[in-house]
Amino acid sequence: MKKQLISIRVNGRTHEIAIAPSQLLLECLRQDLGLTGSKRACEDSSCGACTVLIGGTPMLSCATLAMSVALDDDGHGPEITTVEGIAEHGSLAAIQKAYGDWGGAQCGFCTPGFMCTVSALLDHNSDPSEAEVRDALSSNLCRCTGYMQMYQAVRAAIEAERKGRAAAGTGTH
Amino acid sequence: MAKNGSNGDFSVIGKPVAFVDAAGKTTGSGKYTDDLTMPGMLVGKILHSPLPHARIKRLDVSGAEQLEGVVAVVVGKDAPNKYGILPVGHDETALAVDKVRYIGDNVACVCAVDESTAERALELIDVEYEPLPAYFDPEESMKAERDLIHEQRPHNIEKDYHHVFGDPDAGFAASDVIHEARYIANEVTHAAMEPHSTLAAFEIDPQSGEPGRLTVWSSTQVPYYLQHKLSLVLEMPMSQIRVIKPLVGGGFGGKSEVIPLEIIAAVAARKAKAPVKITYTREEVFWAHRGRPRTIIDLKVGAKRDGSLQAVSARVVQDGGAYCSYGVVTILYSGALLGAIYDIPNVRYDGYRVLTNKPACGAMRGHGTVNVRFAFESAFDEIASKLALDPAEIRRRNLLKPPAITVNGLRVQSYGLPECIDRVIEGSGWGARKGKLQAQGSVRRGMGLGCSHYVSGAANSIIRSDMPHSTVNIKIDRDGGVVVYTGASDIGQGSDTMVAQVAAEVLGCTLRRVKVIAADTDLTPIDIGSYSSRVTFMNGNATLRAAEDVKKQIVSAAARKLGCPPEDVVMRGDLVFRRGASLVEPGREQSAAEILEAKDAPRGGPVSSNAPTVSGKVEGQILRGSLQQKRKEEGRRDQLTFEEAVVAAIDFHGALSGTGSYAPPQEARGGAFKGSGVGPSPAYSYCAQVAEVSVDEDTGEVAVHKIWAAHDCGRALNPVSVEGQVIGSVWMGLGQALQEEMVWKDGLLINPGMLGYCSPSAAESPEIECYIVESVDPEGPFGAKECSEGSLAATIPAISNAIYDACGIRLRESPFTPERVLAALRERDQQKKLNLTEGVSPTAPERFREHGGATWFAGKGPARHELDPARTGRVSDVTGD
Amino acid sequence: MSLPEFKFVRPQSLSEAVAILQQHSPAADPLAPRRPPEERGGIEIIAGGTDLIPSMRQRLFEPEFVLDIRAIRELRGIREVPGGDLELGALTTLTEIERSAIIRQRYPVLAEAARTVASPVIRNMATIGGNICLDTRCVWYNQSLQWRKSCGFCIKKDGDLCHVAPGGQKCWAAFSADTPPALLCLEAEIEIAGPAGPRRLPLSELYTGEGDARMNLRRNEILARIILPRRTANWRGAYRKLRIRGSIDYPLAGVAVAIENNGHIQQANIAITGVNPAPVLVKRAGGLLAGKALSESLAAEAADLAARTAKPLTTSALTPEYRREIVRVFTRRALMEAGG
Ligand SMILES: Cc1cc2nc3c(=O)[nH]c(=O)nc-3n(C[C@H](O)[C@H](O)[C@H](O)COP(=O)(O)OP(=O)(O)OC[C@H]3O[C@@H](n4cnc5c(N)ncnc54)[C@H](O)[C@@H]3O)c2cc1C
Repeated sequence: MKKQLISIRVNGRTHEIAIAPSQLLLECLRQDLGLTGSKRACEDSSCGACTVLIGGTPMLSCATLAMSVALDDDGHGPEITTVEGIAEHGSLAAIQKAYGDWGGAQCGFCTPGFMCTVSALLDHNSDPSEAEVRDALSSNLCRCTGYMQMYQAVRAAIEAERKGRAAAGTGTH
Repeated sequence: MAKNGSNGDFSVIGKPVAFVDAAGKTTGSGKYTDDLTMPGMLVGKILHSPLPHARIKRLDVSGAEQLEGVVAVVVGKDAPNKYGILPVGHDETALAVDKVRYIGDNVACVCAVDESTAERALELIDVEYEPLPAYFDPEESMKAERDLIHEQRPHNIEKDYHHVFGDPDAGFAASDVIHEARYIANEVTHAAMEPHSTLAAFEIDPQSGEPGRLTVWSSTQVPYYLQHKLSLVLEMPMSQIRVIKPLVGGGFGGKSEVIPLEIIAAVAARKAKAPVKITYTREEVFWAHRGRPRTIIDLKVGAKRDGSLQAVSARVVQDGGAYCSYGVVTILYSGALLGAIYDIPNVRYDGYRVLTNKPACGAMRGHGTVNVRFAFESAFDEIASKLALDPAEIRRRNLLKPPAITVNGLRVQSYGLPECIDRVIEGSGWGARKGKLQAQGSVRRGMGLGCSHYVSGAANSIIRSDMPHSTVNIKIDRDGGVVVYTGASDIGQGSDTMVAQVAAEVLGCTLRRVKVIAADTDLTPIDIGSYSSRVTFMNGNATLRAAEDVKKQIVSAAARKLGCPPEDVVMRGDLVFRRGASLVEPGREQSAAEILEAKDAPRGGPVSSNAPTVSGKVEGQILRGSLQQKRKEEGRRDQLTFEEAVVAAIDFHGALSGTGSYAPPQEARGGAFKGSGVGPSPAYSYCAQVAEVSVDEDTGEVAVHKIWAAHDCGRALNPVSVEGQVIGSVWMGLGQALQEEMVWKDGLLINPGMLGYCSPSAAESPEIECYIVESVDPEGPFGAKECSEGSLAATIPAISNAIYDACGIRLRESPFTPERVLAALRERDQQKKLNLTEGVSPTAPERFREHGGATWFAGKGPARHELDPARTGRVSDVTGD
Repeated sequence: MSLPEFKFVRPQSLSEAVAILQQHSPAADPLAPRRPPEERGGIEIIAGGTDLIPSMRQRLFEPEFVLDIRAIRELRGIREVPGGDLELGALTTLTEIERSAIIRQRYPVLAEAARTVASPVIRNMATIGGNICLDTRCVWYNQSLQWRKSCGFCIKKDGDLCHVAPGGQKCWAAFSADTPPALLCLEAEIEIAGPAGPRRLPLSELYTGEGDARMNLRRNEILARIILPRRTANWRGAYRKLRIRGSIDYPLAGVAVAIENNGHIQQANIAITGVNPAPVLVKRAGGLLAGKALSESLAAEAADLAARTAKPLTTSALTPEYRREIVRVFTRRALMEAGG
């Protein structure tokens, strides 16, 4: 089928790519943009390894058509953030550092999805309850950790962010 | 110090450190096989058999070949050599040659420019099958006289073993109580998050101008075995094949042998004359399977009135699926590991590994022991309740007295089981709470105990030989960088980090100095792979020896500089100094210990560390030029930096490299009877667990509230990682206990996806509290043993025993799904019978259950599928429900 | 697995969307099965895509066109209309519903049911319209093309036999969405946009009870909004869902109840999902309960009615008998909770 030219905004950059209308956002990220952090793992849209942020909200890139998130003629359209866009200024974001320190990532295959889900949670709620964290984690499957060490990691990240904010004198928002 | 930290005086080990590859995983920059591409790379897609058992009468791929974008189509006769992970089980071919043996068996492979073209081409392949009678139930399959799955296996029995140790009959005669029951464990699979993926590419040989060397990137736990089997099938020397393992997204045993796509990709790349990548769909992962076979265990246990075990007899039947895989090993483990945990004087074991027309089973976390342990630990509680003994007490009364050799020839040295039991009994408040938890309405609570153990690597390798099981090389150059070349395959369990820690500990340098090059058969010496929990013990020991080898050279050079005998040279904290010397760092005085603390910042440290910069690459470069000069000026000194010592050693010895290898000692390799090779290990890990559950008696739903898990891992080289492995094992056991189950109907897998398979989500995953018990094994690296598998097996009986404690039902079939639990509760209350469980009682299961409904090949109803044998009169019996 | 090829259209308005549907639909026959055997082509509506995309991957749908309705503003939003009814645009996501203060306050059972759908991330995408129009599910149907070839195609797609009820001619695939039973209990109505303008009908009339031709929705129509009537506002309710995991899973059975209660039950509805080819209101439950004070025995009587209404078959994990039993238990519990 003939490919179409679309523009799509990912991690702060706009890309122009030619895609088949049937192309999923996940395929487009991995194959056309080389952003292989988002993973294909289940095929029935149940595992969350492909989770990205669309307009700041975590969604499944394996259940999203690339055409649906293309920019319109005026250049309007959603900003997409993948795991590659989570790191800050070339350094690990607090949640990434914490996942490493606390064993939140073992084989790492589900980790990009968790990074997106959890960072969206922390963006909207800087001090989530245990139940809120559990609820957020319940969108993504992990086969290594039993999720336990992820709670420690999330808590450590919250703490690090709080300290960071205090140090920067910005207080809580 | 955290609850779980090592006690010894170490610098790098015993400390929780982030995995050396953690940042690649959290930023998405780490590459797994499916993330790799090459110029001109083709996509491979496999055509699978729609029939459980059939002869291929005709296979016409011309339609597919003609499709635009298709470069090659590969079939069985392109690579007909047989292979298999076990030398005794070479029964697989890359693609079916004459027969297909399960729904999902591999028939042909299309290589095309992209995925959708390849998928379209699969539809154009024309196959004519002649259906054969198929076998789905192992006990039925064992009766087969004809239409055997593999001609060379009479009665479809892959292997049977009949072992007698001691005098079981006398043991039972001497017993005051005997418990006898059938237990059934249903089939589970690894479901690693990463689907298998392989990329294969040939290089042109410059001398001949023909395709020469082959490089294969693959999601494998066993690069060396893959190289070996590729050589066998492709008829190429191993030296011409390079296997590289990129990051692997979990294995759990599912990647611990050569999986069809790995061979197919290489054969396809040869035929297509281009690089070919195949990545399984999730459904294909389920067909590739190699998981834990569904198992029937007829168990008989006899004990004296005081609880002491007198005899155990077990008949185990495993539904192995269509190929041997690790089957012979699995069925042997099931018998052998009845031993090495409790003191059992008399054992009879009859094990049957049976072929059926289903995807092949293989090795899965806790290989061979898990289902039998579920039966045994359940039976142990049943005996305890007959004797009115506390479950913890009966276990304590049957402990081994190490060092010991069990009746079946297993050598046990370090043995932390008693402490494991103590820790969970104390931690869970067992004494005060067990049996006394309050019910709330229809919801009852209970607690249960289970124990388990596992090998720290098999003492005998699959391919019998005297070669070392692991070899590690270390190179240190003038920049002070330590490069460790190890064949160990990190599959997410953290072996690269373990190797780096061990090397850093021995060399007294910081972790940051150490770079690990792993699992690349061109670069790294042979290691037989990541399976049977062997890596820390064996590759850790090889690393330790390699590091000591190179350390010796540094020390001898340093001794000259420091003017002391080599025995007095200490390498620690990135410094090399004379024992007893007071150390001076520019600007301040510090003890060696203080320096260590500062340099190995533990977890939870600041995000961007502002710890003093360790003399590293940049400084190393600067230092290099001036060092000789400096040395001459300074003469004898009390201490050297790591780089200075390295430079001195290179100047003195020439290039600095070390090597070390490990082979299990002869004494640990087991007895001399047939089948004695499986079970022996240089060391065993031990675990005890208490589970607290509640059971909703109206619905049969079980919730696990908490599991206390103690694991004896010898020494915890990296506590955060040990905790992660133990918790992960417990959690995977929980999945098998409560909800994971491959559901079959006539050999058709009803739930081949993550949605249907139901591995636990965070929502229902309980808190797991982990206690690390360090028994310090005399032969493990720094005393370490395995920690990644042993805990799984205890979870299932701990939960089933807890369900019994909560509501007095004894579930003898796993998983304990709500329908099974409710059926057992209704039995208990003698309520009207409902058919909740397809006619199989979960308290007295007799056979494996099948999903309801009907398939076309064994069903009724109008036949319309063109392959339907009922249409052609080949199958006459069409009753399905 | 890649998606089958199709052309993509993304209209900006409802009328444009209806025109496109009209152009690409076969002659409108309201009761024609949505997918006659062997049919290819046609046009499929996509909203959140969480049902359609996985199904297309399995080649359950191979449309010539996919019509994305997400750019249509008119289909968005929750608003109160004069007279006190509450309108939900079909594109309202389940996350919006579970978080909406007004829904939580007035129609709590809907918020509760929405919260049980799939997982939080899926609910960020999933729309209420898609949930109402969700395809029916069956383990013999929701499988890859390769799998279905192995097993033999069934009535619902490409074949003419049923694996669930061998020999039968009816499709028993189970309706497996969570919000419709809540909406049925709240006596919701729906507005459908079509070439002849909008039509409005009670939600209960949308479903046919057939597993294959599941809805009385013509191929040129779009579900535009859902209307929650003022009269059921503030009814107390409860939703109980049977699932294996605490997240992600579809309902294996689900029971919603809504009650207007002031000491005695004034009015009440019970509806079930996951066990029949449509979500169904339990007949006579309202009559049984109205005017009585809620008690365990009354709840048990109503639960019997619900269990008898349930027709679970081997379409999913867990046995039919078990799922029927659970409908009974959950109905009793939901009633006691909503009425207590
Ligand atoms: C892993 C997983 C788990 C799930 N679990 C659950 C669950 O627990 N409970 C549950 O209820 N659902 C579940 N779902 C299904 C699905 O996510 C939800 O039902 C969701 O609400 C569907 O909405 P959607 O907008 O994504 O639908 P889409 O996929 O966009 O559409 C679904 C169907 O409705 C049609 N449609 C959509 N909108 C309209 C409209 N306005 N007019 C006419 N037709 C329309 C489409 O053509 C399509 O046939 C699950 C899905 C997945 C992938």
